[in-house]
Amino acid sequence: MNPTDWQRLSPRMLLVHPVHELLRQIPLLIGSIVLGSATENPLWLLLGIGVIVSLGLARWFTTTYRIDEHDVSLRTGVLQRNSLSVPRNRIRSVQTEARLLHRLLGLTVLRVSTGQEARGDNAFELDAVETQQVERLRAVLLADAVQADPERPAAAETVLASWKPSWLRYSPLSWSGLITIAAGFGLIYQAGFGAALQESTVVQSGLDAAERIGAAATVAVVVGVVVLASVLLAVGRSLLTYGNLVLTHRVDTLHLTHGLLRVREHTYDLRRLRGGTLREPLLVRLMGGARLDAVMTGVAGVGESSLLLPPCPAATAQRVLTGLVADADVVTGPLLAHGPAAVRRRWFRALVGPVVAGVALAVCAGWVGVPGWVWPLWLAFGALSVWLAADRVRALGHRVDARWLVARSGSVERRRDCVQTAGIIGWTVRQTYFQRRAGVATLVAATAAGTKHYVVLDVPAEWAWTVAATASPWVARSVWAHT
Amino acid sequence: MGAPLQMMRDPAYPPSRSAPVVWALGAAIPWLIFAFAQVIWFALDGRWLWLHGAAALLTVLGAVISVVVAPLWRYRVHRWEISPQAVYTRTGWLTQERRIAPISRVQTVDTYRGPLDRLFGLANVTVTTASSAGAVHIVALDAPVADQVVAQLTDIAALGAHDAT
Repeated sequence: MNPTDWQRLSPRMLLVHPVHELLRQIPLLIGSIVLGSATENPLWLLLGIGVIVSLGLARWFTTTYRIDEHDVSLRTGVLQRNSLSVPRNRIRSVQTEARLLHRLLGLTVLRVSTGQEARGDNAFELDAVETQQVERLRAVLLADAVQADPERPAAAETVLASWKPSWLRYSPLSWSGLITIAAGFGLIYQAGFGAALQESTVVQSGLDAAERIGAAATVAVVVGVVVLASVLLAVGRSLLTYGNLVLTHRVDTLHLTHGLLRVREHTYDLRRLRGGTLREPLLVRLMGGARLDAVMTGVAGVGESSLLLPPCPAATAQRVLTGLVADADVVTGPLLAHGPAAVRRRWFRALVGPVVAGVALAVCAGWVGVPGWVWPLWLAFGALSVWLAADRVRALGHRVDARWLVARSGSVERRRDCVQTAGIIGWTVRQTYFQRRAGVATLVAATAAGTKHYVVLDVPAEWAWTVAATASPWVARSVWAHT
Repeated sequence: MGAPLQMMRDPAYPPSRSAPVVWALGAAIPWLIFAFAQVIWFALDGRWLWLHGAAALLTVLGAVISVVVAPLWRYRVHRWEISPQAVYTRTGWLTQERRIAPISRVQTVDTYRGPLDRLFGLANVTVTTASSAGAVHIVALDAPVADQVVAQLTDIAALGAHDAT
């Protein structure tokens, strides 16, 4: 068969598509069940299922793809035809994913990512091809970007990091468990099962028990159960998503595999790498952990597409990033603090809340009186704000040389952005009215990589252009520059 | 920092002389609609005089700031200049920005003329680079100046024909 012909996806998708279609068309299915039971005619249900299944089958027959010399093309759509073509030299990364049903059948979804943000119909997605074809397709698709040599032995790859069960200790304190619980309740009420839930025997007996033990104890029990459930959910989710994660370095690519049930693989073109972001969310940082994101052209800077390492020991994340940027000072070296004005601004911002709350409470206390337990709460709020300000002051800093710009800030979401200066294609110096009065400025480096803009917060105004000129010689050489 | 501090001179050219008028008119339209709505409200329901008074005061204050203060302030701040190597602008009023982008990385040059711009013969030029955070806007130029800017930019940008990421 000529490789540049239009090809179909794996015939095994004839099994997967109808199942997925059934799941996707649940409202239609419920509709036909209701109609069937209302008219007491089971033919309606059969008809509904028949339509959905044939829609799924039609998907396979109408989806074709082609890889020719210059482009990869994809045609999809049963009723509404959609044709998508991507120039091969624009392919920046290839991502694969296999859900449970796909894995049972030996299938893999393959996603091609270019510099553009592609969503929905514009995403180039082959759902799905046989797993043994993936290596070949990946090599073909990235051939322009990476001179992948199929003859080269696999010995050229080194494992940078692999998941360990101890990494699970960073996940219990994340929000993901609580969010899952909230989403679950939302779904139940959305689907109209809320009333049924309230009348169920479990909830009724719970309410009876609550009446017996009193309000305070009930709150304690409910909070305890929610916290326990959220911890279990967060740990379980982390285990399923990141269990068996392996990050490998091949000649010109980084290769990331993770997931127990739903296996995801991501190949990054290293020549597009413009740095990395060490992220240390507060709760992860307190446990001595960090996460690592790639700063890369053609890959979105947030979310799963730029993930290199999930919460893991900070030393591991630092070691991997050091290996990628080849300069230990960029990753762990000391930073230049931003001086007294920036420090004052951190303190002012953190303490405005408690001070205003305190004044408001004092006024209320003189007027109508406030319950006594409010004051310890206010003290705790104040202490937390003080700690937050001190922590933000400690974090704030930057370092710059001809090759790397490093900026660190934040407490709850602390991040250290390391960006290659060669990738910076524009600078903005921004000053609000208050920043002008304080003599500081926010410096924004624009790049085509990652989150597209990297911020150096509240540098002294007279340093702003010095930082830009150190990183980008074209700023120092411009006609406006003088010393 | 041991090395001498790098300073940047401001860009040289101001926007068109009619820029403040266009900005003021553009800001006046929504405030006029708002004031008109208040007059109708007063005609329909004249109770609560103090509430009408407060609303009118706020409207006048907001209108004066956005129709008189902001356009004049912006006109004093806005500057632009193009060298063979870079585009450099200064914009804003309360929050001010200086933005520079190298011409070798310019991807597109667009002009935009709204109804008010056309009435006063103005044009806005947007210079985009491969970064969504790096677009440089040169606003409220006289149309012939804008044409000249576009021609100049496309001329220089065409020279550097490499991948601009």
